[in-house]
Amino acid sequence: MAEDRAPNGKSGEKTLVRDISFCGVPENGSNASMVDVKNGKIVRIRPMHYDWKYDPQKHMNPWKMEVRGSSFEPSMKTLIPPYSIAYKKRVYSPARIRYPMKRVDWDPDGAPGSTGPGGRNTQNRGKSKYVRISWDEALDTIVAEMNRIKETYGPTALLYQCDQHGENKVVQACHGAGRKLLPLWGGYTLQIRQPDSWEGWWWGSKHLWGCEPVGQGKQSNLLYDVAKNCELLLFWGCDQETTPWGWQGQLPSRLSYWYSELGIKQIYVCPDLNYAAAVHADRWIPVLPNTDAALYLAITYWWFKQGTYDKEYLKTHAVGVEAYEAYVMGEEDGIPKTPEWASPICGVPARVIKALAEEWASKRTSVVIGNGGPGIRGPYATEPARLQNICLAMQGLGKPGINQVKMIEWGLFDFPDQYAQPKPLRVPNLRTAYTGGHPSDLNFPSLPKTYVPKAILEGECDWWGCESETAPREDQFVHRFYPAEGCSKIHAVWTDSPSWITCWNSGNDYVRAMQRPEIEFMWAQHPWLENDALLADIILPVNTKLEEDDIGADIFSGQYNLLFPEHKCIEPLGESYSDYEVVCMLAERLGLLEEYTRGRSIPDLIKYGYETSRCADLISWEELNEKGYYVVPTAEGWENEPAGFQKFYEDPKANPLTTPTGLLEFEATGLKENFPDDPERPPVPKWIAQGVSHEETIGTERSKKYPLLVCSNHPRWSVHSQHEDITWLREIGTCKITGPDGYQYQPVWLHPSTAEKRGITDGDVVSIYNDRGTVLGAVYVTERVMPGVIYIDHGAKWDPIEPGVIDRGGAINTIVPRHTTSKNAVGHAVSGFLAEVEKTDLDELKRKYPDAFERPFHPCAGPGLEACIMGGE
Amino acid sequence: MGKVLVINYDICNGCYNCQVACKDEHVANDWSPIAKPQPDTGQFWNKVYDNVRGQVPKVLITYEHSICQHCDEAPCIAACNAHAIYKRADGIVIIDPDKCRGNKMCIAACPYENVIYFNDALNIAQKCTFCAHLLDDGWSEPRCVDACPTGAFTFGDEDDPKMKDLIAKAEPLRPELAHVKPRVYYIGLPKKFIAGAIYDQEDDLCAEGVTVTATNRVTGEKTTAVTDNYGDFWLRDLQDGVYTLLLEKPGYLTQKFGPVDVTQKDINVGDIAIWKA
Repeated sequence: MAEDRAPNGKSGEKTLVRDISFCGVPENGSNASMVDVKNGKIVRIRPMHYDWKYDPQKHMNPWKMEVRGSSFEPSMKTLIPPYSIAYKKRVYSPARIRYPMKRVDWDPDGAPGSTGPGGRNTQNRGKSKYVRISWDEALDTIVAEMNRIKETYGPTALLYQCDQHGENKVVQACHGAGRKLLPLWGGYTLQIRQPDSWEGWWWGSKHLWGCEPVGQGKQSNLLYDVAKNCELLLFWGCDQETTPWGWQGQLPSRLSYWYSELGIKQIYVCPDLNYAAAVHADRWIPVLPNTDAALYLAITYWWFKQGTYDKEYLKTHAVGVEAYEAYVMGEEDGIPKTPEWASPICGVPARVIKALAEEWASKRTSVVIGNGGPGIRGPYATEPARLQNICLAMQGLGKPGINQVKMIEWGLFDFPDQYAQPKPLRVPNLRTAYTGGHPSDLNFPSLPKTYVPKAILEGECDWWGCESETAPREDQFVHRFYPAEGCSKIHAVWTDSPSWITCWNSGNDYVRAMQRPEIEFMWAQHPWLENDALLADIILPVNTKLEEDDIGADIFSGQYNLLFPEHKCIEPLGESYSDYEVVCMLAERLGLLEEYTRGRSIPDLIKYGYETSRCADLISWEELNEKGYYVVPTAEGWENEPAGFQKFYEDPKANPLTTPTGLLEFEATGLKENFPDDPERPPVPKWIAQGVSHEETIGTERSKKYPLLVCSNHPRWSVHSQHEDITWLREIGTCKITGPDGYQYQPVWLHPSTAEKRGITDGDVVSIYNDRGTVLGAVYVTERVMPGVIYIDHGAKWDPIEPGVIDRGGAINTIVPRHTTSKNAVGHAVSGFLAEVEKTDLDELKRKYPDAFERPFHPCAGPGLEACIMGGE
Repeated sequence: MGKVLVINYDICNGCYNCQVACKDEHVANDWSPIAKPQPDTGQFWNKVYDNVRGQVPKVLITYEHSICQHCDEAPCIAACNAHAIYKRADGIVIIDPDKCRGNKMCIAACPYENVIYFNDALNIAQKCTFCAHLLDDGWSEPRCVDACPTGAFTFGDEDDPKMKDLIAKAEPLRPELAHVKPRVYYIGLPKKFIAGAIYDQEDDLCAEGVTVTATNRVTGEKTTAVTDNYGDFWLRDLQDGVYTLLLEKPGYLTQKFGPVDVTQKDINVGDIAIWKA
């Protein structure tokens, strides 16, 4: 890349186009950025300007929405989030792993289960320090352990965790580059990332309205439909000023301002005044965490009572309405689900519920969702999901302006009906050249990610469904077992982009599972020493994407789709390699390199990516390299794409849903046939206060001890577990709060009344606790959260005081429910659960855990490498 | 032609891109003679503040920004006894990092808050340069403006008709400092609000169509709002002061409510019951 790409020649800088986004499958690229480099260093990272090498009118066919006397166009630059801009700090982070390391008290010559000197000391995972070793020693040890495990137990004793949170890469994939290697080696057990971020939709809505693959509504052309037809938008647990940042950038922000300008009213229903509500809301309706089901029920009660719903539509488009009505009106259980019934459960005054129900029925209303925590990722999430669908159905789902609109993942998994934005002429796709594991790839045997601790701690388990993240509805009726027939229990773990503890269910259970002697060997590969990497026996240094050549596509921005070859910005730091290169090195030692790579070099793969990108007929390889990027023009006639459920609305027989009846199933046929007596996911959705899986609502026995409800969304200043060491973000008040000990704690939002009752003041270090453990944080006393609620972002970097028991970093997922969405639905429940908060006696903790508090930390970047290296660095 | 910056609070989403991009440009990058490197943390040539306004559930945030105003009559230039601060032909005020002697006179002289920082390691005062080193290299705008996703930051020449239109809608951050002739303009500077919700106690229903009139106890100035279907009212753009509210709806008893003091902060008065006459 010798060409000078700076605005003019004076600076001597070169400009490279890179995808700086953080999801990690080849259909999710976004946040195209310009990286200016000089003298082998990154000078700056900035938005990519589409018109740098192209004439918009001539080459890009810019789209424009013109409605109600106003117009909206894409920006001429990408709308990247702050952590893309600040990514230089992540690249040069003090937590970067620069050479292979071995856990100091793990000796591979020790017998399985051995402790003490010369032992494997698995009980010390999370506590032990590390020493530097050579690449040869690291790879030789891994290969020897792999082969020993295979000979002793069979290859399925190796659990491969390769689905976690990492950078977006294609040829250098950081997620599951080993998935094509392990079958050649003999097999493995795959940790299946259960469909997360969509829990309620996936396990609930699919039974109501189908909508494969993840159960969220059809999105085609909805951004335009909203502009043309909506009068009211209900943002339900949606924070489009946070959750889409890592995936697609900030078009949802501009769009939300425009919708307000058009006079479309925006109401936000959520326990916290989230970042979108703070700037876009016409009204905030605070609702207690994970009580939305009660609120939806009361709204439909009011509609049934007043007759303000579309009866004719339901006759032709829905089944099971009578069963639902019987439950709502109290004919089934003697309890009418009135606004007065719902009010004490959900914390919304009955009169406000009535006003909301009446406004919803009288205006063309769409519900807006954005994945994230609140609303859809709690215990029994299937119920609020289905009940929300029912509300939309009762007002005529699919009519102009009546849909479920997503503010995230426009174009998810390359499904055409997920394209909410004006369609491009072609959607670039790099899956063919992708070296990692795709969420829809299958493997046998496999284990749902949510069940990994259970499987290891209890030795066996069974579950339904979860064959892949994109498995169809019917798969939820397939019974599966661990260990699978003819397969081994797990005895070794290989993890890449590790982030289990701080992002999944009951992270403390996971830590305890990894400390079991049965897990004889665990190795990790990652650019940073953080989170689950701290449990591994061997850690391999991986470089960041800015140190690698690759190919990228930006397809989620909502503006223009892009295809670009990605050239290395700087040389790899230390002894790091890409994940793919690491797997190649393992393959070589296993004698499988040729088979694994099929003879393709990295430059071959990059070009192959272009050739199979769907754009090879639109731009030549030479021109692509010369210009550095290609902008896909907007498709002609995008305005005429049917909007959301429009075709189903117009003719349900000709355009059936993928439910068994093809209609909206208020009473789910599939659930009725397969789980007729499941009280935790009944055929007709209900309010479930507690059950065999969860006791996490106010009024239960547990709530006497833990009287607050925790609400936890995807984090504002990081993408799940990523970016926790960027100093320029950590100095933002809502990112970290510095405690009296100089440590930067995770903010814990409390309403002034909640804090006062506990003698807590702004800035105090507090302990959030329940029977699953304790998490420290520092308090932000604020009117941004309703009384009775603890709000905390998930994803904080794990910094255990006592691994599996108490965490200083603020990783709230260590104490979220260990049980899944419900008995027969293996989603995770990570928001809407009980806890208590109290002021922390730091001196007492320091006396009790001197080692943890003496660990060095970077004052501005948090826990880094020096805390974990033998003798510091 | 002088450069000006217009910051529109009405469309600032608080993403902090401006603050972070400023750091990305100026931390560990030496742009002498325009600027030497900024410390990694704790100093902000372009700082965002979260102004959380109101009480549950009538809460909103205005993101406020402090940045050098590049005054035409800059007190810092006059105050610097090392003659290190100068105004460029394009209006940008620069502290020459080589001439600065660390006397901190500029910090004392600047009438705005959190604009000039002192870099202890380099013993110099530092502040926003409008990224003059980039403008001189062909850029059309500073990093903060390039990074802004919503268009809340607009930068340009004061004679440009587009900028003139924006300036016409804008106001200075502190009108009392007009004499220093700042080059940064603001749209949507926060004015106080009183909000609340009115309901019919007897029916336990939200009371729509109630006229709420706020009267300033000192000036007598009146502001009126009508409740919506939730019984909500928002009296916006109020001057700081103490107000009395009058609640009126045909068929209902008229009520007085107050005093409501919005001298220091915005107030949600909460739920107010009204009764049929």
